[in-house]
Amino acid sequence: MATNGRSAACGPHQGCITCGDEGLVMRVTAVGEDGLGACAGPDGARETVDLALVAPVGPGDSVLVHAGVALVRLDSREAA
Amino acid sequence: MSDGGMRFVEEYRDPALGRALAGEILAAVEPGRHYKLMEVCGGHTHSIYKYGVDDLLPQNVELVHGPGCPVCVIPMGRVDDGIAIAREPGVLFTCFGDMMRVPGADGSLLDAKAEGADVRMVYSPLDALRIARENPDREVVFFAIGFETTAPSTALTLKRAKAEGIGNFSVMCNHVLIVPPLRALLESPDLRLDGFVGPGHVSTVVGARPFDFIPADYGKPIVIAGFEPLDILHAIRMLLAQLADGRCEVENQYTRVVPWEGNPRALEVMAEVFALRPHFEWRGLGFISQSALRLSDDYADLDAEQRFPVPGVRVADPKACQCGEVLKGVIKPYECKVFGTACTPERPIGTCMVSSEGACAAYYNYGRFAREREVV
Repeated sequence: MATNGRSAACGPHQGCITCGDEGLVMRVTAVGEDGLGACAGPDGARETVDLALVAPVGPGDSVLVHAGVALVRLDSREAA
Repeated sequence: MSDGGMRFVEEYRDPALGRALAGEILAAVEPGRHYKLMEVCGGHTHSIYKYGVDDLLPQNVELVHGPGCPVCVIPMGRVDDGIAIAREPGVLFTCFGDMMRVPGADGSLLDAKAEGADVRMVYSPLDALRIARENPDREVVFFAIGFETTAPSTALTLKRAKAEGIGNFSVMCNHVLIVPPLRALLESPDLRLDGFVGPGHVSTVVGARPFDFIPADYGKPIVIAGFEPLDILHAIRMLLAQLADGRCEVENQYTRVVPWEGNPRALEVMAEVFALRPHFEWRGLGFISQSALRLSDDYADLDAEQRFPVPGVRVADPKACQCGEVLKGVIKPYECKVFGTACTPERPIGTCMVSSEGACAAYYNYGRFAREREVV
């Protein structure tokens, strides 16, 4: 769980999303207290994500996640 | 809905669409004119070589790689400062994975770990805060790097730490801003660029407006682009169309993700938690004024640089390393004297070879050892 389904090491052959300033499109699966929620990536990886910057969002919404934070809520027509 | 994520990606990797775009690009270029376009973001560099985007371009469209890899621009002295903190008694030092392999003057954080320092890789600052909660008897430090994409995550984590009163957590802040190095590059006499493929995910935070100065002050176009191969080809076509029409504007190719105004809430949080540093050293680019962030006075008690002694010594880059010229797009990675010989991803000398988003690592890993492209 600690690796969130990504490479355990940022080796030369693995893109490290966090370091590369790139986000990952994830789907919100649950919204918890304190601005945190659960999200699932395209490969099924699950991650706890801070949703404070895109609230209000709900289960089923797509968001762009970078370094544990959702930065933008994607238009569901485009992302779905 | 279940295949949503996949469709979202695969549509932008369609080979037939790619070839069609390549045809449009070919039709848009003027024979005899050389186009030099900079992709600002390391994520773009990575995609270009992973998917062979440059192989689809006419020979007179040259892509040069910009300074937008957050690992690559960290100067050695900051790595040494981080290592000094990591070696303090009781410290548990956390950072992103790529950062652990960046060489300082006397080894990397990974070397410090091998010598007994407790250095751990995390995927987000929130992970570092969780480690602090779980280890109340340790001083947990997070080595924060990244452009405006990553800074909101650090800012939100600091707000949480303050609200929860977590006293054993602090941040060594190395966050940098995207506009000042672009301005420095545009002022550089040895680089003549025709336009920019603009950063996609930085723009989800800052929006498109901060790039207005590029057309306004320098008369160059910029197109904010996504990271899939078709996004990049599309952005290049949009840049060439602007150049053919004699226009220079900020355009947004990545409208499915990037709102024109960015994320105002993220900018608010950053403004509360951070303050501008008067100047900051960039690897290869030297000192650039107002180009980086420190913790604001309200958050000074969570600032690792105030909590621990840091040497703050400026360290010159190794003489053999030409990362600076690579970062400025002045030379290609394979033109560096040590590329692929003394400097490899396994034993990097320069930062550009460390991160997978670094231009040298991208060239090396995708077999771009050489030279000029074939004519399309």
